Amino acid sequence: MFYFLLRRFSLMVVVLLLVSIIIFSLLNILPGDPAMLILGQESSPEALEALREKMGLNDPLPVQYLHWLTDSLQGDFGKSLRDNNDVTAILLKKVPITIQLAFMSFAIAVLIAVPAAIISATRKGTSLDYLSTFFSLSGVSFPPFWLGILLILIFSVGLGWLPPSGFVSLAENPVRSVLLMLMPALALGIRLAAELTRMLRSSLLEVLQSDYIRTGYAKGLMERAVVFKHALRNSLIPVITISGLQFATLIGGVVIIETIFSIPGIGQLVYSAILARDFPVVQGAVMMMAFSVVIINFMVDITYSILDPRIKVGGER
Amino acid sequence: MKSFKGWSLVAFTLTILLIVSGCSDSASGDSTREMGDKSGRGSGNGKDKLVIGLDDDPPQLDPHLSSTAVDRQVLHSLFDKLVDIDEDMNIVPKLAKDWDISDDNQTYTFYLQEGVVFHDGTPFNAEAVKFNFDRMLDPAMGSPRYGEVEQVEQVNVIDELTVEVQLKTPFSPFLGDLTDRAGMMLSPTAVKESGEDFSRHPVGTGPYQFVERELQSHIKVSRFDEYWGEPAIIKDVLYKPYTDENIRLTNLISGDVDMITVVGFKDIKKIEGNSAVKLSAKEGRGFLGLHLNPAKAPFNNKDFREAINIAIDRQAITNVVYHGAALPAVSAFPPASWAHNPSLEVPKGDLTKAKSLLEKSGIKDPSFTIKVKPVETDKQMAEMVQSMLQEIGVTVNVEMQEIGSLLSSAIAGDYEALYLGWDGRTDPDGSVSRFFMSNGYNNYAKVNNPEIDKLLTDARVSLDQEERKKIYQRFSEVVFDEANYIFLVHIDENKAMKTNVNGFIHYPDGMIRPDRIYFD
Repeated sequence: MFYFLLRRFSLMVVVLLLVSIIIFSLLNILPGDPAMLILGQESSPEALEALREKMGLNDPLPVQYLHWLTDSLQGDFGKSLRDNNDVTAILLKKVPITIQLAFMSFAIAVLIAVPAAIISATRKGTSLDYLSTFFSLSGVSFPPFWLGILLILIFSVGLGWLPPSGFVSLAENPVRSVLLMLMPALALGIRLAAELTRMLRSSLLEVLQSDYIRTGYAKGLMERAVVFKHALRNSLIPVITISGLQFATLIGGVVIIETIFSIPGIGQLVYSAILARDFPVVQGAVMMMAFSVVIINFMVDITYSILDPRIKVGGER
Repeated sequence: MKSFKGWSLVAFTLTILLIVSGCSDSASGDSTREMGDKSGRGSGNGKDKLVIGLDDDPPQLDPHLSSTAVDRQVLHSLFDKLVDIDEDMNIVPKLAKDWDISDDNQTYTFYLQEGVVFHDGTPFNAEAVKFNFDRMLDPAMGSPRYGEVEQVEQVNVIDELTVEVQLKTPFSPFLGDLTDRAGMMLSPTAVKESGEDFSRHPVGTGPYQFVERELQSHIKVSRFDEYWGEPAIIKDVLYKPYTDENIRLTNLISGDVDMITVVGFKDIKKIEGNSAVKLSAKEGRGFLGLHLNPAKAPFNNKDFREAINIAIDRQAITNVVYHGAALPAVSAFPPASWAHNPSLEVPKGDLTKAKSLLEKSGIKDPSFTIKVKPVETDKQMAEMVQSMLQEIGVTVNVEMQEIGSLLSSAIAGDYEALYLGWDGRTDPDGSVSRFFMSNGYNNYAKVNNPEIDKLLTDARVSLDQEERKKIYQRFSEVVFDEANYIFLVHIDENKAMKTNVNGFIHYPDGMIRPDRIYFD
């Protein structure tokens, strides 16, 4: 177990290092420099030069990268080029907001997917099954941003049930906070739910045909006991894998959904920072996202052994 | 079995969470609706917070570093300018209650308002004015305001409330420039204390003082009780960014936003037809159009440029793209401006004449690319130009670039045609010199026309508006004739607000001064 953890950890470091190099290079390949975006159409050549110098943009790229790397290893992601705010401080404020959104999306996805998949797998070939298949196919096909705007149209403009967009922190007003995040979480969660339903359904179908399920039925167990105690648990492995991978997609969707719903999380921060070429903020936020994806997938690996004791991490016998 | 229990615990928690949120959903859903009804009935007297929906999150709250219109919306509540404009764009006193201009138009003496203090208690005086000018003029500052104040030779403190600004050359647009960020006065104490962080702790003398900011979420300002002028009516103002124009409008109509600063052209009819909201429209002072690059083929051919200039039907663009909320343009100055030239006629898409000019140019199978921002209206405009020019046999390609890349292309001269406009300035000089003088920052194609340089310089020297008007009228003719920039439209300045929002004065610069607004 220890060696497994060590190996995974060193892999994580390598992945994050590569991500940092890629994002740094990509940002610098982008046309348009931050100084010019700050000055806009009003930039005089002198002002442009002075600002570039002040921002350290005139240093050679490898020097800039090393500066950033050594600082960020000490937890200092630098300062925003726009308002000189500490990037680490900004990120720490934004992360809980996005975690709340991600958690709610995931919760919605699980709450939809598990029942839908069970019904669909145990009632294979019935109209309920087709309904659930239809739902998962359409769920995968709807882009979250489109779904988000549709939800606003239905629930805010049409029915007037939910506030159209905005954010209040959980600490300030828990009810309103959850309420405001319901539509964005739904927009993200439905797609996830669709993926999970498809995955869980096929996995369940496979398990339901195995010998031990037949044995279960043969020894007179109730259908509910067979499905929940034996089948569901054994079909979760591929679903957990997919969930881990889907988390990365979720983080991607967060960028656009947060922008639509005016949620001041990591996603909107990245979006605005990219448009303004606020390099330190983009780098910090992307590193944070990469870090969370890596961590989640690490946790997925650990979960395997909990779900199925036969799987021992690190190849232990 | 143990691990299975763990899993069901998670599922259980999730279920509870959803049930809880489901219940509270119906409960507070009702309360929001009630609130909506109340304000609709006009009993919002107890309301002491104005929510303004911006089109973006302001990048900068330091006026000397700001370069976007969305910053200015917030800055106008926090900072007073030396002078301001009124509804008709006349220059009126603000922090300077009076001023003298020397006969040679090179010395401006400002007599300052008494008893003015900054939000941090620092007294506002001649020293503070000098401090602010020096800050903008400091080359290390890299201030976008530099271009507006670079004519300043030195600032002399005469006494506590009198300050004299010496210019290097006569420069009549100077007062006009001071109605914008260049005239905003920052607290010297706060600047020294916060240094680079001033943008996060802005301190001015304005009717509102800065309270807090949450990036991408809101900026909160609150009434400044020791304000020198009439105190603000509404206590708190909350600025919230909504980048998507549909979401912005939805929040105005069915959310808690009281007014929005930018209205989508396609939504104007919708607002006019909705009794919960109202529209305030004003003729804009800016322009939109195409930069043609005369350093590159096919635009190095003047006949070709002229053909393009007259082949585009401005009225059609106005109607289709801007839903009538714009005026066709033929120069930088809209009809409401004193610098407008009424004798210049707006081209109506004269295809016969355009074709003959095209023939005269000798260019076979002409084609060019227009670079535009990925904004719906810009794209539509480019597509209309595309189809109009197709009729005279010119192929137009449209390429979209987001603003950062677009400005890079512009500055590098890497374009054939580029759709970029300007939101206009108080003095006509601020609207044109940067684009048309040979050393203008936004003269992307580096066009050097001695006649234009002379006209614009003359207009800067003269203090006589009649004389300046004649100069600008001549200037507009020359620019139209050269056709290096094709003026297309002057878009209207639109604001939308809930019906109970009153006291809003629509200034020509489109900036909301929230202090006189009230609910009824």
